[in-house]
Amino acid sequence: MQGKVIVVDHEKCTGCRLCEMVCSVFHTGASNPSRSRIKVVKWESEGFYLPVTCQNCEKPFCVEVCPTKACHQDAENQRVLIDKDKCIGCKTCIVACPFGAPSFDHVERVSIKCDYCDGNPQCVAFCDIKALTYLDVDKVNIPKKREISLKYSELMRQIK
Amino acid sequence: MNPAANLPTKTLKFVRPQREWRWGIAIYLYLAGMGAGSFIIGMFTHWNGFGFSLPPNVVTLWGIPFELSKAALLWGPILVAIGAPFLILDLGKKLKFYTACLNPRTSWLARGFFILSIFIVVGLIVFTVAVISFQWISHPPVFWRLFEVISVIFAFATAIYTGILLQSVKYVPIWNTPLLPILFLASALSTGSMGIILTTMGYGLLLSQGGSFPQLVNILIKVEQVFILLEAWVFISYLVSKYRLKDQGETSVRLLVAGDLRFLFWGGIVCVGFIFPTVLEYLYSNFPQYPVLLFATGVLLLAGGFFLRLGLLASGIKEQLPMHKLIEMKMNMSALQRRE
Repeated sequence: MQGKVIVVDHEKCTGCRLCEMVCSVFHTGASNPSRSRIKVVKWESEGFYLPVTCQNCEKPFCVEVCPTKACHQDAENQRVLIDKDKCIGCKTCIVACPFGAPSFDHVERVSIKCDYCDGNPQCVAFCDIKALTYLDVDKVNIPKKREISLKYSELMRQIK
Repeated sequence: MNPAANLPTKTLKFVRPQREWRWGIAIYLYLAGMGAGSFIIGMFTHWNGFGFSLPPNVVTLWGIPFELSKAALLWGPILVAIGAPFLILDLGKKLKFYTACLNPRTSWLARGFFILSIFIVVGLIVFTVAVISFQWISHPPVFWRLFEVISVIFAFATAIYTGILLQSVKYVPIWNTPLLPILFLASALSTGSMGIILTTMGYGLLLSQGGSFPQLVNILIKVEQVFILLEAWVFISYLVSKYRLKDQGETSVRLLVAGDLRFLFWGGIVCVGFIFPTVLEYLYSNFPQYPVLLFATGVLLLAGGFFLRLGLLASGIKEQLPMHKLIEMKMNMSALQRRE
């Protein structure tokens, strides 16, 4: 996996589902969250919201089980993509994916999944609280590192 | 308090089995298995494997001789050919089904496309030649026998393939076991032999044939009972082995045995599929003057084979991700805190 990826911070997400809305508008022209490529999983009782989208696995099961090679990894960035023209809608990729990332579009009758909106993910652009960010693969861990070093510096200050 | 008893997977509250493959796929798996099984049993009978064969009964239609006794035995490929369109009906783009063979290197759906197509073609050729009894095509007999052996190999491949298709979806633990193809093969042989018994009985009633017909049915019933017992044994060991695996393998079994699918499991699979046929067959062996008992056995057993596929499809739950476990732990912690 190279290039940029969508990084999810579940602690920031408020579950507003705007990402689902803009995703379906961008890809289908209809504001229909059931046709969105990103899905917010909600646990209301815990106040826990997690936007789930394709993880672009290194050895994707969906590519392995696809009978028509519609689900494939692109040569440049090793991203998993679904070719809409080749897909016959057998739903095997949906059953095979551990993350539940591909979903079935009941209007176009094919499997759909995140394709990063050709390099400008709309969900990231419209996420006001920045729960979703679009980062280079090698920079994914930098926010976490910064957070943990801030905690350490705080601790050190208290000790002094 | 035992926190484990409160897990959402234990209470089956948040369990979501897959809903993508439903009754259409179940019919496809069932008809493919049953057709292949009945072809295997029919072929062994055709080769005189059980010591008795049906008396020849040639009917001439439009100047072509038809051998009806073979038609009762070798009708399996027709069933598979009826089942395959159910998979096509389940597709999103039905007219593009022929492209489902482009990735046979890794996809079992694509391999199954080839296995089923070859079996239907080869099986129909064997069926046609046996029924119309062309003499010239079965010479030399060595090559023809080889062709028949190939058709039986593809029948076995079809019966096992229905299990491997589910097994190839690796992230559903209740399907991901080599016992599943064995279970589906045993079920294919038991339903297939019952199909042969029913058609042979129907054929006997239709033509009021005497001769070795009842003996053949009696032998087939014994074969069939062995397959039912074999299938029950494989099914029990399959469920037990899955129940002993923790996480979702266990959850699927719990969903089947005690959850939403309990009526399908106890009523459809256990009673209709195993207990009633065994009891009715025992009754029939004591009262052979009532062939209706055997018909009832057959219908129940065939329905049980379908319920088995439906139940296993409907209980397919994906393996848990670490994130699920984290949320479960959080829920349990908050539940504990609320109680305190």
